[in-house]
Amino acid sequence: MATSLNLISRTITFFEEIGDITLFAIRYFRAILMPPFEFKELLRQCYILGYRSILLVGVTGFILGLVFTLQSRPTLMEFGAESWMPSMVSISIVREIGPVITALICAGKIGSGIGAELGSMRVTEQIDAMEVSGTNPFKYLVVTRITAATLMLPLLIVFGDAIALFGSALVENLKGGVSFTLYFNKVFEALSFSDVIPATIKSFFFGFAIGLVGCYKGYYCKKGTAGVGEASNMAVVYTSMLLFVIDFIAVFVTDIFFEV
Amino acid sequence: MNKYPSNNKPILEIKNLKKSFGNNHVLKGFNLKLFEGENLVVMGKSGSGKSVMIKCLVGLMEADSGVIRIKENDITVLGQAELDLLRTEIGFLFQGSALYDSMTVRENLEFPLRRHKKKLKMEEDTDTLVVEALDNVGLKEAIDLMPVELSGGMKRRVALARALILKPTIILYDEPTTGLDPITAKEIIQLMRGIQEKYGTSSLIITHDVDCARVISNRIILLVDGINYAEGSYEELIRSEDVNVKAFFKQ
Amino acid sequence: MSKAANQKLKLGIFVMLSTLLLVSALYFIGNRQNLFGKNIKLHALFYNVNGLQLGNNVRFSGIDVGTVSKIAMNNDTVIRVEMSIRESIQTHIKKNAVATIGSDGLVGNMIINILPREGITMPVVSGDTIETYSRIGTDDLLTTLNVTNENAALLTADLLKITTEIVEGKGTLGMLITDSLLADDLRQTIVQLKRSSVAANQTLAELNAYFKEVRQSESVANLLLTDSVSGEKMKRIVSNLEFSSDEMVEITAGMSQVIDDIKESDGALNYLTNDKDLVRNIDSTMINIKESTRRFNENMEALKQNFLFRGYFRKLERQQKRDEKKQTREDRN
Repeated sequence: MATSLNLISRTITFFEEIGDITLFAIRYFRAILMPPFEFKELLRQCYILGYRSILLVGVTGFILGLVFTLQSRPTLMEFGAESWMPSMVSISIVREIGPVITALICAGKIGSGIGAELGSMRVTEQIDAMEVSGTNPFKYLVVTRITAATLMLPLLIVFGDAIALFGSALVENLKGGVSFTLYFNKVFEALSFSDVIPATIKSFFFGFAIGLVGCYKGYYCKKGTAGVGEASNMAVVYTSMLLFVIDFIAVFVTDIFFEV
Repeated sequence: MNKYPSNNKPILEIKNLKKSFGNNHVLKGFNLKLFEGENLVVMGKSGSGKSVMIKCLVGLMEADSGVIRIKENDITVLGQAELDLLRTEIGFLFQGSALYDSMTVRENLEFPLRRHKKKLKMEEDTDTLVVEALDNVGLKEAIDLMPVELSGGMKRRVALARALILKPTIILYDEPTTGLDPITAKEIIQLMRGIQEKYGTSSLIITHDVDCARVISNRIILLVDGINYAEGSYEELIRSEDVNVKAFFKQ
Repeated sequence: MSKAANQKLKLGIFVMLSTLLLVSALYFIGNRQNLFGKNIKLHALFYNVNGLQLGNNVRFSGIDVGTVSKIAMNNDTVIRVEMSIRESIQTHIKKNAVATIGSDGLVGNMIINILPREGITMPVVSGDTIETYSRIGTDDLLTTLNVTNENAALLTADLLKITTEIVEGKGTLGMLITDSLLADDLRQTIVQLKRSSVAANQTLAELNAYFKEVRQSESVANLLLTDSVSGEKMKRIVSNLEFSSDEMVEITAGMSQVIDDIKESDGALNYLTNDKDLVRNIDSTMINIKESTRRFNENMEALKQNFLFRGYFRKLERQQKRDEKKQTREDRN
């Protein structure tokens, strides 16, 4: 009885949260259309969220390409299909693994970062201080961060994909003696627009989700240091979940529009 | 110092302010009048609704009912732009200083100026204003430091400088001495008095620190159970026979 | 301030680099899909495209030279396939090249193979329609075979009639033998039968040679005998045909011998007429002929049933009916 009640109240909370996040998103779209615009802060956030994530995304992407190729090699060799390596690796990385892994990494780095930063700003009344200083904190903090994440993530994903393919090419070069030129020729032979474009569109949504949830959790952080930790933690959890939901929808939509 | 500065109208007035969170009725009809040039202290235990009251005052929270008038403007009916403009008349010193962690001291002080400098038609250079404000709190050398590099007392001073940078006529202090050692607290209180004398501002101070109240107050309002429980000068209240008042000043 | 400028610079480099990566990736992909390069268009007509899809590769002698850019029904039966071919390959594809549909690799992607043919012709130009496999030469071979078969059947029927008459003793046996006209008739028939048998043999040999060629040039084998099962069946049918045809030749030779005997042994007429064995011999020979013709027919029928040739035979029937009508009209006149 108690557990079922608990379950019901949890479900209600869950839907309330979804409603809240939706309202937050609507508020974002309203705010982004109305002046004043915080361009300077937007650039600063692009630098922090985008540029500062390059190393992380690059290293993960490189290892991803490396490991993926190393792991697939024996299987493909068994079938005598090593020549399919570039096409297989490139399609999986560009379509799915690259965007999702990069987005998850960024959810961990950017999402939790935003959650913690805004959370602590809320707790230490910095957001109130901004409001009193005549600056709309939603515009200054939230709009800039969500926008920056939305703009930066596709770039990070492209960057990560490229590094991952480079890692894969490196393995093929060292182990299979395949030249980089041949490898990338094969890659571009295998890829089509319907691989790259949906993945790129998808990555904008990934970025938006990371920024949105991080900001939401941080902006409405509960009082106290525990609240900050929870905000940053929940930002990652919710974002990761949301990323997979978006990915699922994206694959669904891609299927409808790109497979004639 | 007269007990009730009777010179005409109050600069800030709260009438019958009510605010509740769910079933928790924090303010149940609070009244307050702040006159020009006066230092009014509102005292009360933690959780008595002092902070809620002060946040309603600057529009950070919306009151359930009641009237808040600042310089003849009812803030509950003001639009965002007008509210922003009115807020330039008020300096707000937050409890934990609330310095922006990601910005240097200079950027912290510049922040209120970025939207208001033109509106207020301030002639001076931004740099001049920043240096002047820091000079007022004696921290000119800290201008390029980050907030994490500052001690608690220094942070409070920088926050005070930031609250003053738009040359407000009213300053709200939210627990100006909490978290500070007694010596630093005394320094801050001296600073507050100095500023009040220099600029002739009116101050509303929220605190539970009796020492602070004694030093700075012209008048004290005791907030208990969401209403003005007692009102008077420090001397008057300390002589009071009321149990609650006695309990409060005994600490 | 310089810190902010530094940040802007780094951010700018990062943004430019990533955008460049994306744009160049898109460019290279487009390049591969021949979206930006110069292309010519070729067309080919098929009755069946076997699940060919847009974007499938087009190969010329095994080299990828382009993609299928359009598939549309021309009318109820004909499908027009448009191919986008790299311009650089244009000079190598001659007007007499043949397009066929085949499958590629493990997964069974459909592809179009363009195969060069012997003979010197001009290179194709954009917009040309090139031939497809189903219209190549087998038609002629099969026509001959069919005609031969029908002739054989006809002649055998004649022979049968004659032998029946002999056996039944219609009129007198003497009349049969002495009637040189009839004998000549008989001989004529047999000669014709022999000739047509030889013709049939020849055609079969040609067909055989053709199939051998098919087997040798793998690319063509792919297109005609897409699955090896129907290929095997075809082979069997042809060998059957060959067998019954051989039989027919043999039997006809025997018949010829008998007739010659009759003619040469003028004095032995009585002997002949009395010799029941000979007549029986002729009779059984005739039955053999009938039998082998029937088998020949059966094989022919099987060939007709084979889906590869079905369309062709149908066409033939229509043609025949038309000819018959024409014939009867001419006869009437």
